[in-house]
Amino acid sequence: MKEKIKEILNKIFLVEIFKGLLLTLRMFFSKPVTVQYPYERREIYPGFRGKHALVRDPFSGDEKCIGCMRCATVCPSKCIYIKREKIENKMIVIDYVIDASRCVFCAYCVEACPVCALILSEDFEYSTYNKEELVFNKEKLLRNWDEFIKKWPEDFYFNKFWQPSGIDPSRWPKTKREQKPIPIRKIEITKEEKRVSSTD
Amino acid sequence: MRQSDVKELIVNMGPQHPATHGVLRLVLELEGEVVKRCTPYIGYLHRGVEKLSEDLTYVQCLPLTDRLDYLSSMINNIGFCLAVEKLMGINIPKRAKFIRTLMGEMARICSHLVWLATHALDIGAMTVFLYTMRDREYLLELFEMVVGARLTVSYPRVGGVRCDINEEFLDKLYRFIEDFPNKIQQYETLIDRNRVWLKRTKGVGVITAEEAINWGLTGPPLRATGVYYDVRKFFPYDAYDEVEFEVPLGKNGDIYDRYKCRMQEMRQSARIIKQCIEKLPTGLVLAEDALRIRMPASPLKIDKKEIQFEVYIEDKKIEEFIQKFPEVYASVESPKGELGFYIVCDHSAKPYRMRVRAPSFVHIAVLPKLCEGFLVADVIANIGSIDIVLGECDR
Repeated sequence: MKEKIKEILNKIFLVEIFKGLLLTLRMFFSKPVTVQYPYERREIYPGFRGKHALVRDPFSGDEKCIGCMRCATVCPSKCIYIKREKIENKMIVIDYVIDASRCVFCAYCVEACPVCALILSEDFEYSTYNKEELVFNKEKLLRNWDEFIKKWPEDFYFNKFWQPSGIDPSRWPKTKREQKPIPIRKIEITKEEKRVSSTD
Repeated sequence: MRQSDVKELIVNMGPQHPATHGVLRLVLELEGEVVKRCTPYIGYLHRGVEKLSEDLTYVQCLPLTDRLDYLSSMINNIGFCLAVEKLMGINIPKRAKFIRTLMGEMARICSHLVWLATHALDIGAMTVFLYTMRDREYLLELFEMVVGARLTVSYPRVGGVRCDINEEFLDKLYRFIEDFPNKIQQYETLIDRNRVWLKRTKGVGVITAEEAINWGLTGPPLRATGVYYDVRKFFPYDAYDEVEFEVPLGKNGDIYDRYKCRMQEMRQSARIIKQCIEKLPTGLVLAEDALRIRMPASPLKIDKKEIQFEVYIEDKKIEEFIQKFPEVYASVESPKGELGFYIVCDHSAKPYRMRVRAPSFVHIAVLPKLCEGFLVADVIANIGSIDIVLGECDR
């Protein structure tokens, strides 16, 4: 009986509606969580899978890619095309094309690369008006890297997927195992460091 | 007007209707405002995932499964990985098991939050949408922190997970989980006893336990009828046999009970995550014998062995295993229901046939049964309550 009276009173005085309204009123005074996107930006965590870039070797100034085709074979959407040539017993990458409009951003290529020559950078704003601009060739990919490291706050860069944590390092090839953070500010490289790296 | 003048009106609902949750087309035959017959037409989002996977290696298939149920891609990945691991006989490390359980439950919460948001929005409760999206955003950011992607994560891998999680992540997640029951309380304050919500959901779209079993329903729509069935309890995978949780059951099998079931499920998910964080063991996250099905080696070294390795699975242990079990079925409890992967192997590194048992596909079949005899507005409520994702249904 008591419960029935309570229910009827609840119905008459719109108790549940006012409870809801009280909650929304309380929310009105709390701090907003919205980010006003073009003006404010949210912090992006390192290792974000965004725009592609080929790593520029800080010592030679050219790409690090050796043309082993691992990334092209592992790609699930088959969006990497590599043109290479063997000149004097040395493999030379003539062109390296990534079709970003087909890419699924799984970062398998980054993980498979034995020399850590490829990254998915933290840059995500590269929408265009035509599809042709989304086909990145070697020059464009290197330019992407330059643009990306310009914004990078630290002196060294290291991608998370080059050496994923928690995995036995013996699974990787030697060059990948020994990969160290890449110095990206030219001034930082002293002569001694250069000599050490060249002997490697 | 005489009775004979009343004609059936045929209404085309969708495929571009915002309340059909994707590209679902429903042809409704109406008599006045009562639905006489409802026919769902599917296939607008068909991408041929099953066929595509026949041309890709097991590792490469994984990103495809992301795109099935895009609201909980983590659980799709886990399901596929479990099937392949069963096929190859790989035992994954304990830490990876716990991480998978934890991530799976995070994905379940994400999916249920989107379900609540859209379902409530369809029925007319606008505020819940904003609150659930606020909380989901936090979880998506955590996903981004670990793998660098928010929606299509591709985080689990055959033989474990892709990379380890760090203290900062666990700390942030723990803080969220501590507060999450209060957040659920907030949503419930808004709609749980709201008279509009009750009128729209109670006694609508009723299905009995027997019918639900006959239609092949799984997940929350089945449990709302009072049938105790949960893949996590009956066929425990990953670390589910090491954590404590309850399976919430409904009674009447109407929309309100399905809603109640899912709300309770979110609470249980929070409980599981909490236990996982507390019990998380240390160690590697990728099994050692997962080596043989790593990404294909380079074709540059044109060596016969290398080519063989690339195309065929050569490991003797795995070979023996495959001969014993050439076909496997592994299922997981996805937020929508039982998601199963059936793989037929032909000793190459690619699946001969992969079949996906998608819960959304089964649940759409029951839609005409739920809608018949109810009003047009209830069709919307019904679609929301069975929580379908068309990416998974059409595949």
